Amino acid sequence: MNTALNLSSSPHARDKWTTEFIMRVVALSLMPATLVGIFVNGVHAFLIVLCAVVAAVASEFVFDKICHKPDTWKDGSAVVTGLMLALSLSPSVPLSIPIIGSVFAIIVVKCCFGGLGKNFLNPALAARCFLLISFGSAMSTYQIVDGVSGATPMALLKAGEAVDITKMFLGTANGVIGGSVLALLVGGLVLWAMDIIHGQICFSVLIAFTVSMGLFGGQGFKPGFLLAHLCGGGVVMGAFYMATDYVTSPVGRLGQTVYGVLIGVLGALFRIKGGAADSFSYSVISANLFTPLIDTYVIPKPLAFRRFRQHSWQEAKKPLLERIPRPVIVLTVITLIAGLALSGVYSMTKDTIEDQKRAASAASYQVVVPEADHFDVDAALDEAVAALDGNVYGTSFGRATINEVFVGKTAGDEVAGYVVSVTTADGFDGNITLAVGIAPDGAVNGISFTELHETPGMGMRVDEDAFKGQFAGKNVPAFVLNKAGGSTEDNQIDTVSGASTTSGAVVNAVNAALDFFHTTVKGGSD
Amino acid sequence: MKDTFRGGVHPAGHKELSRDVPLREFLPAGEMVFPLSQHIGKPARPIVKKGDAVLVGQRIAEADGFVSAHIASSCSGTVKAVEKRRVLGGGMMECIVIDNDGQFTPAADYSRREDPDAVTNDDILRRVQEAGVVGLGGAGFPTHVKLKPRDPAAIRYVIANGAECEPYLTGNDQLMRTKAPEIVEGLELVLRLFPNAEGVIAIEDNKPEAIAAMQGAASGKARVSVRAMKTKYPQGGERSLIQAIAGVDFPVAKLPADVGCIVDNVGTLYAVQRAALYNEPLYSQCLTLTGEAAANPGNFIVRVGTSFSELLEHAGGIKAGATLKKALAGGPMMGIALTSLDVPIQKQNNGLTLLAEDPNELAERQMTACLHCGRCATVCPMGLLPQLMADAAVLGDLARYEKKLYGLECIQCGSCTYICPAKRPLMQTFKQAKSEILARKRAEGGANK
Repeated sequence: MNTALNLSSSPHARDKWTTEFIMRVVALSLMPATLVGIFVNGVHAFLIVLCAVVAAVASEFVFDKICHKPDTWKDGSAVVTGLMLALSLSPSVPLSIPIIGSVFAIIVVKCCFGGLGKNFLNPALAARCFLLISFGSAMSTYQIVDGVSGATPMALLKAGEAVDITKMFLGTANGVIGGSVLALLVGGLVLWAMDIIHGQICFSVLIAFTVSMGLFGGQGFKPGFLLAHLCGGGVVMGAFYMATDYVTSPVGRLGQTVYGVLIGVLGALFRIKGGAADSFSYSVISANLFTPLIDTYVIPKPLAFRRFRQHSWQEAKKPLLERIPRPVIVLTVITLIAGLALSGVYSMTKDTIEDQKRAASAASYQVVVPEADHFDVDAALDEAVAALDGNVYGTSFGRATINEVFVGKTAGDEVAGYVVSVTTADGFDGNITLAVGIAPDGAVNGISFTELHETPGMGMRVDEDAFKGQFAGKNVPAFVLNKAGGSTEDNQIDTVSGASTTSGAVVNAVNAALDFFHTTVKGGSD
Repeated sequence: MKDTFRGGVHPAGHKELSRDVPLREFLPAGEMVFPLSQHIGKPARPIVKKGDAVLVGQRIAEADGFVSAHIASSCSGTVKAVEKRRVLGGGMMECIVIDNDGQFTPAADYSRREDPDAVTNDDILRRVQEAGVVGLGGAGFPTHVKLKPRDPAAIRYVIANGAECEPYLTGNDQLMRTKAPEIVEGLELVLRLFPNAEGVIAIEDNKPEAIAAMQGAASGKARVSVRAMKTKYPQGGERSLIQAIAGVDFPVAKLPADVGCIVDNVGTLYAVQRAALYNEPLYSQCLTLTGEAAANPGNFIVRVGTSFSELLEHAGGIKAGATLKKALAGGPMMGIALTSLDVPIQKQNNGLTLLAEDPNELAERQMTACLHCGRCATVCPMGLLPQLMADAAVLGDLARYEKKLYGLECIQCGSCTYICPAKRPLMQTFKQAKSEILARKRAEGGANK
């Protein structure tokens, strides 16, 4: 009784849950996905997870020490960041990747912005995007269980091929470590049931994504198509774990719904229109940037000001327009203006763009048939191209399609050569379009790329003379890719080292052009 | 009608400590101290001076204005002084100090019951005012003011608040178990003033005995019904009950009467019954002495003016082996931490909670940066965004706090602070922001005059 009593403001009761507890639960909820990932992908996946988590915690520890900050590394948020990063990586990345990613996530994205609760981007996702941009090839190599590298379901989907949804759902398909939709769903739903993550976010993401895919995906609301997209490319991971990250999502229910819808719509649009298969990360990151704006403007009125009814003193029911919250109107107007401006700019520049495209094509056609003075259209050849109807050409050229054929003529109207424009969908990162110049005798004059966005330093090197020069002056029925290098035969093409996918695609495309030349151009004019 | 409101939290109840201990009266022996402000509104004016002899129930201070309340002596004896004394909350306040003679001689016969049918509506209002009845739920708003809304015919619900959502406290529970007919009678007296109103007795469903007792007492009464409410804090908040029962939310600037509701604590209704039928002033109320540090937790009918320490001594003091870390007037959610137990019990006090562990001490050690988890927004019964409010308050952006975030709508129930996993001192921030905004407004108002 003689000891002094504690004084403080009410409440004098606190909930048992602490920051640490929440982080621990989130980390535990990721365990099913982690375990499935390790089970399916083997020891290397386990090492990746370990490296990411240890590097994340260690980074925060070192940062705390250097900056003389309180020991925030103990709160468990670094573990969650490391774990989420690891689960969003391919199981075949070198161990340096998760370490670099974790250090980037913790030091740059989190600590430099003030630590827990202050980062403006989801650290794990920001690190993933950083790694995707910086270490494109290492990040995008996916190994199947049996050790053969192959395309991920998302890459296949993008290319319009069939995928095995069951495999994707269980997590045994090609993809990231945390690719098991089932395990992620289990963890995510537990978090939702425990009220740790907000249903407004995860479900609005999923619903908006599904609806947008159905509307804009070009295949309607086919369940198989929608399910494949929902199960792949980190949509579930993104909806339940990435989007719901506390710090980078809005606080109010209304704001959270707006944010979720934004992610869903962006995710679908990026996936349909964008180049990269794993675009979902970018949609979440983009929506993160809107969070402060949403928190500032999308503030729900307290109940007391909303449920005006039953009583005379309460305001009469306002007309519909006035009942729509101001921010919604403002945002709609901004969107409309931006949309109009964009479409205005597009329609104004459309012709210019087309002109420039044509000029660029013409320029590359000129490059591959330098003797030509002008290029003519041959009605018969055009018809042959039109008959192909944009379908994949032949059976042995991968996914190559013939776009157009021109006849290059000299000033004296003599045939100087033919230009066949081919697009292949087998590129590492989207389509590759090239013009193949073929002399009347069937020898290749040269090739020139009109559309190429492969990995810089790797796939992009097919545009260097060292590679494309190999085709010039060769008169063979078809070329063969020589992965070993040091080719001696005419029909052999040395691969660009480390970019056999791109090189192979180009060789196939050239072969398609040659085949078209021999069967249609020659066959037709002879 | 729903059985609960939106949001809210589920703090550990700890009611088992005292819930089954029957109410017993405690008659103090020591000097009695009556602070002049035991209610919301203007402090009362003393009408006795040093040396005057007083009796139980005798008025010793008079209401100063309409929103104020009379104060009656709870003991017989001699006025020792009218001076500043320390009161709960830690400050000094003008108090009437009476030397208790231990006889408790009443000023009038408070056991003589009047025929309810002979009591007119005006009698009820007048007697409630004379008796100095204030809201016993904790706020201490003068009841006679509450019972005189602008338009009595517009009142649709008179809610008897027996929710007792505050953890630890069980006084209302015991009162309802033992005085059910009296409470129902008090409610019926109030209902007489409001011809179009329905009487609803709202009790949290963790008090089955009280519900049964009240249902027994209310059976056959056409205008009275008993409602079991979900056990959730702050279920017993005026606004929560109105939200659940009448389905209405209303801004802080409005009174419950503006939305056709009157909410009275069951203890208040008991006092109304005593005042209207027995002419007995309010000089005692039920109070729960509880907490892990209390040797014998229990429910008492205590006299206003008794010192907390005397009550505690009578009840066996501190439990052997336990240390008293924190003493609260009230329960842990809204109670006021006491600097010392040597302060008088006031009319609106309903509990003395003695904590052996201070959760706030632990919380301070566990504090981390805000996670933006949004749990505070989920539990806020007013639908506010406490996290953004705290940000605005800390940054000093009081305009945003008040206008955009509706910060002044906070009822300071403490739910957000309770739930916060980062253990942020949210409500403390809000209290400060509120007083700052009000101070600025007063300053501006003063400048305009």
